[in-house]
Parts: sequence; C-alpha cells; structure tokens
Amino acid sequence: MKIIRAAVSLLVVALIFWGLNNSHGRIPPLGKLMNPFAGFWQNGERTDALPEDLVVDGLAGKVRILWDTRRVPHIFAENDTDLYFAQGYVAALLRLWQMEFQVLHVGGRLAEIVGPAALPLDRFHRRFGMLWAAEKMDRAFADHSETRRIIDAYAAGVNAFIAGLKTRDLPLEYKILDYRPEPWTGVKSALLLMSMSYTLAGGSMDPAMTALREALGEDILDTLFPYHSPLVEPVIPKGTSWDFTPVPIPPVPESSRKPGANSNPNKNEPAFAGPILRPFGTRPGPGIGSNNWAVSGRLTQSGFPILCNDMHLGLNLPAVWYELQLSAPGVRVRGVSFPGAPAVVAGFNENIAWGYTNGGSDILDWYAITFKDESRSEYLYGGQWRKTMVREEEIKIRGADHVVDRVLYTHHGPVVRLQGEPAFDVADIPPDAALRWLAHEPSNEILALHRLNRAAHHDDFVKALETWSSPAQNVAYVDNRGDIAIVHAGAFPLRWKGQGRYILDGADPDHDWPGWIPTEHLPLVKNPERGFVSSANQAPAGPDYPYYLGWNYVSFERGARINEILAESVDITPKDMIRMQNDVLGLRPRKVLPALLNHLESERLSDIETWCFEQLRGWNFEYRWDSPAPTVFREFWNALNRLIWDDERPNGMERMPRPAGDVTIDLILNHPESAFFDDKTTPEKETLRDIARLAFRDAVEKLEERRGPPGDAWQWGKVKGTRIGHLARIPGLGRDNLVVDGDGTAIRAVGMDWGPSWTMVVEMGSEPRAWGIYPGGQSGNPGSKHYDDFIDDWIAGEPYELLFLKSADDDHPRIVKRTVLRGVK
Amino acid sequence: MTAILVCLAVILVLQLLTPFWWWVMIVPFVYGAAAARSGWTAFQTGFIAAGLLWGAGSAYYYLFGSRIIAGQVAAMFGLERAGLMIAATALVAAGAAGAAALAGYAVRMLFRRSGKQAEVPGTDV
Repeated sequence: MKIIRAAVSLLVVALIFWGLNNSHGRIPPLGKLMNPFAGFWQNGERTDALPEDLVVDGLAGKVRILWDTRRVPHIFAENDTDLYFAQGYVAALLRLWQMEFQVLHVGGRLAEIVGPAALPLDRFHRRFGMLWAAEKMDRAFADHSETRRIIDAYAAGVNAFIAGLKTRDLPLEYKILDYRPEPWTGVKSALLLMSMSYTLAGGSMDPAMTALREALGEDILDTLFPYHSPLVEPVIPKGTSWDFTPVPIPPVPESSRKPGANSNPNKNEPAFAGPILRPFGTRPGPGIGSNNWAVSGRLTQSGFPILCNDMHLGLNLPAVWYELQLSAPGVRVRGVSFPGAPAVVAGFNENIAWGYTNGGSDILDWYAITFKDESRSEYLYGGQWRKTMVREEEIKIRGADHVVDRVLYTHHGPVVRLQGEPAFDVADIPPDAALRWLAHEPSNEILALHRLNRAAHHDDFVKALETWSSPAQNVAYVDNRGDIAIVHAGAFPLRWKGQGRYILDGADPDHDWPGWIPTEHLPLVKNPERGFVSSANQAPAGPDYPYYLGWNYVSFERGARINEILAESVDITPKDMIRMQNDVLGLRPRKVLPALLNHLESERLSDIETWCFEQLRGWNFEYRWDSPAPTVFREFWNALNRLIWDDERPNGMERMPRPAGDVTIDLILNHPESAFFDDKTTPEKETLRDIARLAFRDAVEKLEERRGPPGDAWQWGKVKGTRIGHLARIPGLGRDNLVVDGDGTAIRAVGMDWGPSWTMVVEMGSEPRAWGIYPGGQSGNPGSKHYDDFIDDWIAGEPYELLFLKSADDDHPRIVKRTVLRGVK
Repeated sequence: MTAILVCLAVILVLQLLTPFWWWVMIVPFVYGAAAARSGWTAFQTGFIAAGLLWGAGSAYYYLFGSRIIAGQVAAMFGLERAGLMIAATALVAAGAAGAAALAGYAVRMLFRRSGKQAEVPGTDV
C-alpha cells in the first residue's frame, strides 16, 4: 500500500514538474514563466534601466552612447568597426527577440520554436529560396572587405550582448515560447534584407494573369490591366527628357505570342490553383503604400529644401524600425534602422536627407518547367535536357522528428511547388514553375546604406545607390546645396515589353533575362522645373521611357494628391509638411462619387438609404475617424467592383483580381456605355446606372446587417478598427481597436493593420532640423513603458523633433543617460 | 511555522542564486522526505511556503515596475485584471510545492515501520 502511495505520489509530482517545465501547444511553461525571480515578473520596468559603463570584448576603442528622453541612442565611436559593433549591441539591447524571430520566420525555422504547426510556412520559405539566397548573399559579403567588416562587426556586437544575458534578463517572448537566443551571423542580417524584398517585391500576378489571358484574351486584359494606367502621374514627371541613348531592347520572341505558350505545359492543373486569389495578396495593396517628396528651397519659407517620407508597412509590435544616431569620424547620421541590419536605412546626415517608397517594378518571374519524367531529374532548356539540382532543406521541428525537404532548382531558380502538391496558404504559386527573382541574386544593399549614410552631395548619393539591387525603391533626396532629386533605384532586367507579365517558358532561352538596364539609364530627375519631386508607389515613368519595368503599380490617388497640394504651395514650412503627411482627403471618392450619386438621384430610396445618400453627398471626401461617410463609400465601392468585375472571371477562378482603382474610375467617368457594366450572369443588359443602384442598395443593406441602424458603430475609425498586433501574434501584447484617421488611398494611408511605419520631415539647412515618429516605441519589451509610447502621438499625427547631436560632449537637456563601452585591454 | 519559514528561506536563497523555478518543488520534497511529521503537515508546509514566497515575490515586482507586464501576461491568459497574476503565480508554486512535499512524505513513509506513524494533521504548524 505504502509503495503504491509513494509511486502514485511520485508519478503525480513528476507529471506536475513536466507540465510546468514545458510548453504545451499554446500554453507556455508555467513554472519557468511565472517564477518571480527569473520569469516574466523580471521583464517589467527594471529592464528600462539604461546600461551602465561596460567593458565589452571586441571593441578597439571607446564608444560613447548618449540616450535621449525617448530612449534613442546617439552612438559616438572612434572608427566604423566599433560603430557597427555598438549598433549591433544596442539593437540587441532594444530588440533582440524581434530581430531573431524575424529571421527565423523568413529563414523557414519557426517550427523549431513553435512545433509542427509552423511546418507549412517553413517549407514555403525554404522552397522560396530564402535561406539559400541569404547564404549566397553572406558568401558574397566576403567579396567586399568593407561589407564583410561591417556585417561581422554588427554580428559581434549582437553576440556581445547575448553573451552577457542572464536567464532572467531574456526578453519576454523567449520565456513564453521557451527557447534561447542563438549567436547572430551574417546570414541572419542577409535574411532580414531578404524579408524586406519578400514583403515589398515578393508578390506576383503572373499566374492569375496567365489564366485570365487564356480565358479573356490579351486585348481585354490590356484594357483591364493596362501597362500605363489612365490617371497616373508617373514619378518622373511627363516631359522629362531622358539623357541617354538606350541599349537595344530584346525583341518579343515569337513563342511568347502563341496563345497559352507561356502557361504551364502540364494542363492537368490550372496555373491559378491557389486556394483563393487574395484581394491584396498578389496586387500591391495600399498597405505597401508609402509617400515621399522633396521640395526645393524656392518653395519653402526658409529657403532650405525639405524632404518628407512616410514608409508604409504592416503594423506590428515591436515596431519594424528603431531610431538612432550613428557618429564616427566621417559620418554623423540620424534616422531609423532595422533591428538586425547595420547602418541607418532612412534618415539624414549633416549634408543630405533621403527616404523611400516601394518601387513596385517587376523583379519576379515564373518559368514553366518541362520535366523529362516524373523523377524531375532533368528539364528541357534550349532543346536539350538539363540536370535538375537538388538542395536538401532540413527543417527541425520542436517535439517531432525533423523533415528533409528536397527542393529542386533549375538555372532559373527554385521550383517552389510541384505538380500535384497542395497549394500554399500564403501565396498563389504555380505548380512546376521555377522562380526567377532578383532578390536571389547576391547584392550589396548594406554597402549602399553605408555609403548613403556618408554621402555629402548628389554624386555621392547616385554612387551609393549603384550597389542597391532589391527591393526596387523610389529614393527621394535633398541636400544642403539646394539640390532635390528622385531616382527609381534597383537592378532591373532588360526585358521585352510585357516580359514577365505572364508565366514564361522555362524551356525557351529567349525567355531568359538577357541583361540589365544600365544603372545610368534608370528613371531619375534632379531639380525639376516644378520645384518638387514625389512618389507614392505609382509607375516610375510614363510610356516615353524606353525600357519596360513592369505594369503592376499602385493606383493614382496618393501620388496625384501630393502633386496637387505641392503645385499650389509656396512659403512651405516643416509644419505645413507635417500637416500634409496627415492629409486624409481621398481623391478616389472626389473623382468618382459625384458621377455615381447622379445615377442615384431619381431613385426612390428607403429612409436609411436616403440617410446614406445624404452622408455621401455632404461628404468633404476626408477619411476622418468620426465620419460615417467613408464607411458608406467603401462599402459602395466594394459592391460596385464586385458587380462590375466578378462576372468577368473565368470558370474555376474564385474571385476576379480587381483592376486598379484608376481603371474602374476611368471606365465610370469616360466609358459609361462600356459592356463591362453588363452583368453577364443575367439575361438583361445592365447599364452603369443599374449597377450603381444595385451596388448602393447592396452596400446599405450589408452595412445595416453588420452594424445595425446608423450611429457610432458606423464611424469610419471604428469600422476600420486599426490594430497593431504582436509580431508572433501572442494575444495581449498588441494594441487593438485603435481609432485613426486615414485610408489607403489618402496620403495618410492608415488601414486596418498597415500604415505609416516611419514618418519623417527634414529641413536641410546648415544644420538639419527634423521631425519623425513611428507606431511603437524603442523598447521591444512589452513590459516597458517604451514598448508603445509613441502610438498615441502617432494616432494624433504629431511627430517629435529629432535630436541630432554634434558630439558626445553635447550637453542637451534631453539627454538622460550616458553609457561608455570599452574594449578589453 | 518554523518549517514553513525555513522552507521559504531556503527556496528564496536558491532562487536568487540560480534561475531555476523548480526549487519550489525540490525543497518541499526534501522537507517532506526528511522532516515532515505527517502528510498533511508536509503538504501544508510546502503549499504555504512556496505560495507565500511566489505570492510575495510577484506582489513586490507588481508594485515596483511589473504592473504593465502582468497586465499583458494576464491578457494572454484571457484574464482581465493584472493583479490576478499574483494569485495565479502563488497558486502555481503552492500547488506544485504542496504536491512535492506530500510525495516526499510518501517516500519517507516507505522507510518507516508500519503502525508507528500516526497521521495527526497540523501538529508542527
């Protein structure tokens, strides 16, 4: 009896121990986590204590870090290597968990932490060649000694921080997910850059376009998805002369004109076999909607040029950026950086300021592969069989055996999904097609950033961007000599017009990328007549630009609004620019709503329909959080698009990809008799008027159904429901139900879970003055008051003046702490 | 009472010196196996010592800077009030420690001649 009692007791205790010491599905290891002396209780504000002076192995000289009231580090080093070492150390101090989690995510290693549930995502990232390309990029860093030194110094700094980390000091998420940080490497910094390329230039409409071409024909497609959208004002103003003689452009191969020639040779499965064509999964969503502009001193009150930039990304906590100043002999630069990569990405130094919008040009193609047989060991190319290469990807899985995924590679790139394999949830991947993606090419954006940080004038700026490859960016520029400029920067394949719009033929050498557009031929304008440059993800250049860059750019609204405001502005002040960044006027409703409302004029409307109609008629087109009009308009616009376009979709396609907003607006305003307005699923012939009425009724009905009778629940801010979720989607660690002005088609493009990730205004005088803000806080620790302390001011649209110190001896009242890092003697 | 204080002090020292949480099980287990006079005493001692220590420890951190984090972790568990995390923390330790002490006592009983042990509750509290 005693033996049984003892055995049972021991068993129960062992079970309790096991239960509390390990995580179980979504339940963290409670013993470790709740331990007041080393668990989450230790991640409170005590982590806000800024570091005291430290001796750190790996530094050559002394590094002084001055922390300001917003916890921004101003780093002063005696040489560049120490500078990047200190940046790595500080980045890890502020955001270690985030930097590692981001690269584990994109490198296909999440299952190591969270178990089998992450396997499909890991497999997708491995298949997409993320880790393969990051390893190649890291090897290529070695070819350039300066880059290697920067990358290694940064990694050493991160690792110095990790080495000094006690269990109780681990960031909260390590404790919840129950794992420990591993050493930082160059591959990890490379993966971080890969992840930006994936976010900004990893989408593709090619499979959907291929299917649509087969169903609808090329003429209709060219109308719905035109190469040059009707209302767009390109980044480089029309009429800008191109100061170069173009290199010969490859002819369109005959083979590409044959119907279906570029689609998958194996017809058992349609090319668009993804589970759904997401509304924004494949087109650039307004979420990837950024703005930048630069105004010449001619237009400003002070006579100094001003640069403005707001880069829009998915909203997460910890925030995608952190702020810092980097100073060493030859460099004094201030701005934001990615936790995980060296240098300042966007910002200003004593002489220049620069900022980005996503370029959106096509740098990703799919090549249909003809395999010899089911073994897929050989594929057809140029009439010959070539050997397929295999890369074995070992995916470790927490709590289960590892999996080895054999990824096939052709000379084009990896075959992401094989015929017969289930579709991926995260992207629409054509089967048996190889991915050719510029981001797979080793490139040196780190060096570009390093040089941008040190650039003193326009020539330096242009030279710095020579090694910028991916993702393509519109980079706006000002300097204290008074120059302003914008360039569509990146590496771009030399293509025939439309190459890569559809799935290409992987067997035909004529479909390869034959070369590159020379760097000096990229779309660029400096000091234009109108006194300003601007971009908002729209097409970089008009039809007169001699090269083909792509077609899938963002609709006209934000770009046109920026140009409209700047064209009428004089005596501009930084305050005016901040106000402009907060502009929420929607050009889409302003352009199209009067025409639509005309069609509803004589209609007999119910009470609630009349109320909605009056809301729209009285609307000033501003996306204010407390207005119901944007709610009604969005619902109306969505219903309209559904009714106009969904009947055009080919059989088997769940949802018709939407033509860009400007195409639909052009159709409504300039082609009201178009046959697209007819609903093909009914015997009657509908007109625009019929469709507008149906859409309006449908929208009002849906809104009433979802939101009840008109009232507070219809307010735009509440309907939109902006949220900033935790990066790993851990409940409780994000901020929900934020009520914010703005819309994806307004300059202030705040949506549900995307928006301005860094907003900056720089006046480039003899000493620059700058303002900036991002939705988050400098600390990555959820228990810190600096985790999300900028969010309220971000919602209010009130950026902070950025402290830019001249030396480590500056005695500014906003400096709250000085830390000295010294090497081991 | 003495046993509780000794247990509490030993766990506290070990927890301050090392990052391991499981001292709240080991120490009560050893107490149960080496010194407890009854199962109930063992359980009570472990339960109260560990619960008190983790409860007081978490309350201390709650009051001095960990209120935000407690709120977030509470939200993660679907609890609405940050203060509940103190109770939850104390309960986790108390439950684990009580069970461990009881098991220790059961092991101790293996080495005792039967009949000698009288299970009188609470005699040394």
